[in-house]
Amino acid sequence: MMSTNMVPILDLNPLPAPYWVFKVLLLVTFFLHLLAMNAMLGGAVLAVMAHFTGKDRTHGNRVFLDVAKKIPSLLPATVTLGIAPLLFLQVIYGQFFYTSSVIMAWPWFSVLVMLTIAYYGFYYVSYRGGKDPGRAGWVMLVSTLLVTFIGFIYSNNMTLSMDPNHWAAKYFAHPNGLNLNLSEPTLFPRYLHFFVAAIAVGGLLLVFMALANWKRDNDYARRLLYFGGKTFTFATMAQFVVGILFLMALPREMIMLFMGGSPLASGLMLFSIVASGIAIMVMSKAVRTGNIKVAAVQVPAIIAIVIAAMVVMRDILRDAYLKPYFHPEQFTVKTQWTVLPLFLLLFVAGVVLWIVMMRRFFKAKSVSAS
Amino acid sequence: MNYPVWDLSVGAGLLIAIVAILHVFVSHFAVGSGLFLVVTERKARRDNDPALLGWVKKHTKFFVLVSVVFGAISGVGIWFTIGLISPQATSNLIHIYVWGWAIEWVFFFLEITAGLLYLYGWDKLEPKLHMWFGWVYFWNAWLSLVVINGIITFMLTSGNWGKDQQFWTGFFNPTYFPSLLFRTAIALALAGVYALITASVLKDTALKARIVRWAAAWTIPALIVLPAIGWWYIKRIPADIWANARGPMPTATTYAGLAVLLIGAALLLALVTVLMPKRMNLAVSLLLLLISLGAMGSFEMVRESLRKPYVISNYLYSNSLYSATLPGDGGFSEDEVSANGALKSAHWVVNKEITPANELDAGHEVFRVECQSCHTQNAYRGIRKLIAQRQWDEAKIEAMTGGLNFMHNGVMPAFAGTDQERVALAKYLSSLEPITTEATNASVDGATVFARNCAMCHQVTPADPLFTNLVRDPAAAADALQSLPALFPVMPDLKLTAQQRAAVVQWINAQRGPGGPAYSAQAANTEGAK
Ligand code: HEC
Ligand code: HEC
Repeated sequence: MMSTNMVPILDLNPLPAPYWVFKVLLLVTFFLHLLAMNAMLGGAVLAVMAHFTGKDRTHGNRVFLDVAKKIPSLLPATVTLGIAPLLFLQVIYGQFFYTSSVIMAWPWFSVLVMLTIAYYGFYYVSYRGGKDPGRAGWVMLVSTLLVTFIGFIYSNNMTLSMDPNHWAAKYFAHPNGLNLNLSEPTLFPRYLHFFVAAIAVGGLLLVFMALANWKRDNDYARRLLYFGGKTFTFATMAQFVVGILFLMALPREMIMLFMGGSPLASGLMLFSIVASGIAIMVMSKAVRTGNIKVAAVQVPAIIAIVIAAMVVMRDILRDAYLKPYFHPEQFTVKTQWTVLPLFLLLFVAGVVLWIVMMRRFFKAKSVSAS
Repeated sequence: MNYPVWDLSVGAGLLIAIVAILHVFVSHFAVGSGLFLVVTERKARRDNDPALLGWVKKHTKFFVLVSVVFGAISGVGIWFTIGLISPQATSNLIHIYVWGWAIEWVFFFLEITAGLLYLYGWDKLEPKLHMWFGWVYFWNAWLSLVVINGIITFMLTSGNWGKDQQFWTGFFNPTYFPSLLFRTAIALALAGVYALITASVLKDTALKARIVRWAAAWTIPALIVLPAIGWWYIKRIPADIWANARGPMPTATTYAGLAVLLIGAALLLALVTVLMPKRMNLAVSLLLLLISLGAMGSFEMVRESLRKPYVISNYLYSNSLYSATLPGDGGFSEDEVSANGALKSAHWVVNKEITPANELDAGHEVFRVECQSCHTQNAYRGIRKLIAQRQWDEAKIEAMTGGLNFMHNGVMPAFAGTDQERVALAKYLSSLEPITTEATNASVDGATVFARNCAMCHQVTPADPLFTNLVRDPAAAADALQSLPALFPVMPDLKLTAQQRAAVVQWINAQRGPGGPAYSAQAANTEGAK
């Protein structure tokens, strides 16, 4: 059996807008999803660390609870912002994505179960953590492990979807969907790359919390800045090692893409390395001098751009993997002019309403509890 | 065949039913409660009722934990599940309706944000602003229903979409409005039902009584109008689809009956709670919740069984074959697969060529790509049990698989593939539950012979062609049954023994009583010559 024959044919219904529209929407929404996901996952890991490490228990518990209380907002943000890229992914990469999902159907399906358990766990910690921090710590640990593992399953599915050559062997060995993509050499470095990035962003979450507490409780805020800033610098430094491991694990022709083969890919990588280096230096200095403004504004701004660059590099890599099987020029396009403008209109209106909601909520002066 | 089939031993249909029913049960609650919460908050503030206000606040927390958490995840869950079980249909729907989903996502995002801020705002916001968040939540939740309803109803009644393939043609299909109204009523009913749960544990019995009566004012009217809307809904379903719903096996009509029964039970129970509001307790509220879940589940099963054999009406069968040959279908239509062979057409099979050595495996693969979207071996709609009940030997299975599309009013697509593949399929199915020819021929009781050989395609009603057209003369009839295809070309060539034929004819004649047109031997000749 030739594996190319196994790649499902394109959907016979035309694309309801040009290919690039979906590509742009996919990348933009995926970027937003990554921001929320990184903050959620990294925050959860740091909350666990705050709970289980360090000598000052009162302080550790305070950090733990403060961070843990953010997760029940960050997780729905992750999920809702994840739905959009999942939608647009299916429009243009459905042939690959559905297939890999079916091949590893049970792990993929189990994401739902794990997510539900993790979610309720996070709520438990945020509501009951103050009363029983001991038990809450363990619940937090379990929930965090679950979301960590969910990320791993995503990495499995995404790598498998780009590798039609290995589909047949896996599917026919276990058509019941009990497969992962563990034989993929880039799987672990790739996953680690995402995971470590999440830790770094988790550090930034603590820096934001330091900013929020700066006037109210400066002593606490400084400790948050220290913990968050240090975590960020170490994680980002580790990222250089992990990133090189990831790059080296790639097939040769993909490595070459980032070594000059593709000017865009190479430029983005160079930029990311330099920008991350700068972010590390800026953050170290801000932590040393206690400059919260720099730590909470400049560094996150740099990192947001780096993440955006990562999203584009990831996309270049995907298309390089899929090159033999994926030919966007084969899509037939029939733009749905009676719907697309409506979506754009509602999207803009939605963004405006969302901003209005946020402003009204955060500007409101607290009224006494009724 | 274009996509691999997840070999799910518990049953693809069962998994999707569980995920879908749980999701709709929570998501309708999420819509209805949006309205319920703000309106109740407004009432409490207007009546200056701090106790009620305190309860609304507590109920908001419960609401978020159920709807924002489980509702959102199970919604993603439906996506995951249909993608795993019907990737082809999901891909079709995504390509036709991605902008619909994108719009729904905008509403959904606003809904979740507003819902959380409504919860967090209880201690922070002044009343007017707080209620504003409640309204933003409700309208966005309802609007996401307005959008998704178009896509769901499209799957059941695609209307004129087949003609122009326009987004809005399929969206505003014949059942769009009845379904929207139906679901809105369900949402309101469920808002009241869920409210009873947090109300039932209150210690303040006066407050509890007030809430129970207030919740009933939401549930009872909604339950009363539901059957009427349901009737309108059914009227809008094309007659041929609804006709398919009748029949002996658990079909849409059975589930519709069950839904009406459960709605009635819920109504009764709701009335009882109004009469004795102070005696309301957790057990009663959970019972009501369970009954409502049953009613909602039955409603979903009505849709599910009405849609069969399609996932997308008049377009794609459950087993992912297109019902008509279309440009760009990749050879995955019923006719093309019949002409080229299932194994040759499918991308995801090992055995492309059938040999005596691989026949059983090949038959298994045919089963997987053509039947497993609805059947399992041993579990949900298990084929082994069906064969055991009918006592079919291999020859009979082979004959019967030629007429699947006639069984149970057409719940199944026809077998698509070569005769050789059908033989292999029969061999495989027979290996699951080997029945000897002696066992097949052992039944000599007329009713049993009928049940095992005719009942899947013929109904015991005077109007069924079997009863109107079979000659009444016992000998001639028994003779005619020697070859069913000679009686009517599409019938399977079942080899009944002389004894079985005599018995079934006797039974058939006993059912229809004496008299009628086809009584003479002469009629037998004309019929037989047909
Ligand atoms: C669209 C879904 C669907 C598909 C696809 C499907 N079936 Fe069925 N089948 C059903 C339903 C529904 C019933 C009724 C089951 C019941 O009564 O529990 C049924 C019943 C049967 C029966 C029992 C009939 C009787 O009452 O004695 C057999 C045998 C059968 N199917 C075989 C097959 C085979 C073989 C295939 C594949 C070629 C197949 N089915 C494909 C839905 C399907
Ligand atoms: C696989 C499905 C199937 C099975 C099994 C089946 N039939 Fe039929 N039969 C049909 C169909 C389809 C028709 C045509 C119905 C119509 O005209 O609407 C038909 C028509 C008939 C007719 C009327 C023929 C005429 O002259 O119009 C008779 C009599 C009949 N069947 C008897 C039987 C008996 C007796 C059995 C059981 C031993 C049986 N059938 C089993 C599908 C089946």
